[in-house]
Amino acid sequence: MNCLEFRRAAGADPEHLTAEALAHRDGCPQCAEFLKKVQRLDATIFKALQIPAESRPALPPDLQPRLADAVQASVGNRNRWYALAASIAGGVAVGALLWAGGSRDVLARDVVAHMAHEPEAMAVTSVPADAGSVRTVLAKDGVRLRSDMGRVSYVMSCPFRGHEVPHLVVQTSAGPVTVLVLRNEKVSRAKTFHEQGYSGTLEPSGPGSIAVIGGSDEQVKEAAARVGAALEWTR
Amino acid sequence: MRASKEISPPLTRSLYMNAPFAGKDGETAFARLCVELRPDLFRFAFWLARDRQVAEDVVQEALLRAWRSRESLGETDSAKPWLLTIVRREHARLYERKRFETVPVDDLVSNESPELAVAEEREVMDMRRAIFALETDYREPLVMQVLLGFSTGEIARELGLTQGAVLTRLFRARQRLRRDLGVAGSAEDDES
Repeated sequence: MNCLEFRRAAGADPEHLTAEALAHRDGCPQCAEFLKKVQRLDATIFKALQIPAESRPALPPDLQPRLADAVQASVGNRNRWYALAASIAGGVAVGALLWAGGSRDVLARDVVAHMAHEPEAMAVTSVPADAGSVRTVLAKDGVRLRSDMGRVSYVMSCPFRGHEVPHLVVQTSAGPVTVLVLRNEKVSRAKTFHEQGYSGTLEPSGPGSIAVIGGSDEQVKEAAARVGAALEWTR
Repeated sequence: MRASKEISPPLTRSLYMNAPFAGKDGETAFARLCVELRPDLFRFAFWLARDRQVAEDVVQEALLRAWRSRESLGETDSAKPWLLTIVRREHARLYERKRFETVPVDDLVSNESPELAVAEEREVMDMRRAIFALETDYREPLVMQVLLGFSTGEIARELGLTQGAVLTRLFRARQRLRRDLGVAGSAEDDES
């Protein structure tokens, strides 16, 4: 394989290079550098493609049984409203069927699913997020910092269940933890959960709750205490 | 499927392995699957249509069709490509019915800019602009590969192309993005 062939292969599918291509990379510093450039490009492409995916309003719990019925009705009914209701069921209101299994578990699952769709946020890094952005994102949700919560490496205002919520990643000595500030998600008491290999906790905070997700119960517990103490609700 | 394996398969496999989509239990399993996959379905639809509202409509219609045909889906692992195919076809149907006005790329970017403004990621915004400007023939396989984790063989099957044609499109897509973003040295990289 020559350099041109390598660059064509790397430029088309940089993550699935053949053994021959990898051997060429190992012997050609210029092509190795080219591959790194393509991989950096792909990381930016991936970020750019990750547009927020939740824009429908969250479904009020009292509507969920009716929408579950609508799902059934839609199977034999071409009525547009039912079709819409049923298709909403496919996207958001299908969650109605989930609520029967317990809304709290669904919240934990949604939190982890949201986090999993921004994997780049969970990089271990020493680079802090812009402090002004942290303040701005929190302020949009009526929150400010009264003490240090640790080094925030990622901050984003994310659509979650029909609301914009602050999504932060805080670097701890045991690795990064994700924090979602959920003004509109009430929980009556702290509850730990385990989803997709992650540990997490949902804890009451202000008018709603905070979700903290990390790699272990101990890490999450410590981070949740620090984050909970740092957040001050202004409204 | 590369990226998707990094993002969601543990949940998919643990909850849905061998779960039939018939009956009450099947309904619940399918509903959970839809909720789990909806973000990826929406993003795929969005990058096809380059319009949030159209993408919402496409995903709604696609999920309705999928709901009606759920019992025909036997393999849980094939759910994602199956749903993406439905989204793709639904998008094509919508374009058969409607003819959308051409929207300037800068408007498309600004429509999606509130999220980016917070993150202050200029590089990502520029990349998004460049992807918006890619022709569909290049944008679609790139989205399938980078966002959804499809292999080039899977993309070829989905788009009805040869694998060689897919590789060419993917290469040219990245080449155009580098050119549009003014990545230094890209021309020499490609030619050397």
